[in-house]
Amino acid sequence: MKRTALLGLLLAGLLTGCGASVKMAAPTIPTPLLEQIEMTVGVRMPANFEHFVHEESIYGQKEWSIDLGRSNAALFEQLFAYMFSTVIKLGPEDDPQLMALDAVIEPSIDAFEFSTPEQSNTEAFAVWIRYRLKVYDAEGDLTSNWPVAAYGKSQTTTLGGSAALQRAAILAMRDAAALMIMKFDNVTRISALAGGGSAPSAPIVPTQPTDRPEAQATALEGQSDE
Amino acid sequence: MSKLFNTAKIPAVLVAATLASGCITSTVIDARTSETGIGDNESVVIMAKSYHLGNETEAKYIRCIEDNLARGRSGLNVIPHQEFVDSLFPWFEPRTAPAETKNLAKLMDRPGVAERIAEQGVRYIIWLDGDTDRVAGGGSLSCAAGPGGGGCFGFAWWQNDADYDASVWDLQGLESAGTVSTDVSGTSFMPALVIPLPFIARTQSKACKTLADHLHNFIVQEEPA
Repeated sequence: MKRTALLGLLLAGLLTGCGASVKMAAPTIPTPLLEQIEMTVGVRMPANFEHFVHEESIYGQKEWSIDLGRSNAALFEQLFAYMFSTVIKLGPEDDPQLMALDAVIEPSIDAFEFSTPEQSNTEAFAVWIRYRLKVYDAEGDLTSNWPVAAYGKSQTTTLGGSAALQRAAILAMRDAAALMIMKFDNVTRISALAGGGSAPSAPIVPTQPTDRPEAQATALEGQSDE
Repeated sequence: MSKLFNTAKIPAVLVAATLASGCITSTVIDARTSETGIGDNESVVIMAKSYHLGNETEAKYIRCIEDNLARGRSGLNVIPHQEFVDSLFPWFEPRTAPAETKNLAKLMDRPGVAERIAEQGVRYIIWLDGDTDRVAGGGSLSCAAGPGGGGCFGFAWWQNDADYDASVWDLQGLESAGTVSTDVSGTSFMPALVIPLPFIARTQSKACKTLADHLHNFIVQEEPA
């Protein structure tokens, strides 16, 4: 009996040695230096923003489980509260057209990717997050569809790989926040929707579906004068 | 084996190994483009060039430069880089930080930026670029253990290069004050005759101390000792 228990413990130890689990606390972004846009926006978060888990098995290495928890929801709640004078979080049952909103923003996550030091042959973890921001006007028409590609990188420390990976993910979220603060209005022209304004006559972002969000992101970022 | 390492000699060898270090060579080059100087109420910030541009300066190296510049009676006022970056969010993030001094004027025009920099008394931003790499190594060292004891035998060596450039930006004139570059090469050895004896070259530490000393002199405009 004792031998079986010992064997079980050994097996459990070996199994846990083959996987890594990272759980992130919600990030806090510093108060940004920006000019707030005077308008009322509604924000509709997707369900997975409240609990996002990325699982990946790297060939020849361990399995990773990265639990972002509600980090994405926290990031966008903070960011939009800084960017717009009034922000209303919409529930699944809310009808935005009954709420006197100037615009509705619908963020989502297209992709989450990471690399380990073994893969990149460096001493750093890197994280890429591709968000997508859809902006609707007061009538519910889509006026902008902006893919946002963010990147974070953190060197391994004595605290271990999990801490470095968490740090890289937080840096990627800060990178996304910085990009949105810098270019949100340039790209989406959301401020033109304030006071019930209509969508710009020539859409800044092509609304047709694309299979290549990276290409669209590059083209859009190139439009900015930043 | 007891002829080589009797009990009296082992502590002496260990002390010698601790005191000894590998072989280090270093070069420092200053290139000044404008006059510098710093007042009692002025401070400096040490930043790493963006990893979006491929830079890999280690966080511990930045902290080492900060600590060395702030140390001593003539130490400079150093604002911790993360505190500075947070206070100016999002304008000094890896994606948004100015890459050239010609972008400083536009940055200062952004709401709150000039005021926040003035509040902290930041006169100079020092941008670090570079890293420490292992460039060569060789030898063979093997260890074995058995019921009667264990030991190592062989010889191993490795060479690290620490190359760092520091660009000094003067926020008073919104111009570059110049650059200080350091190139340190260190070779470490580890002979083993039962006990491995490490002779470690502290390459990165040497590069930190050398660059910090020269940066201090560069900013206060003292001739290097």
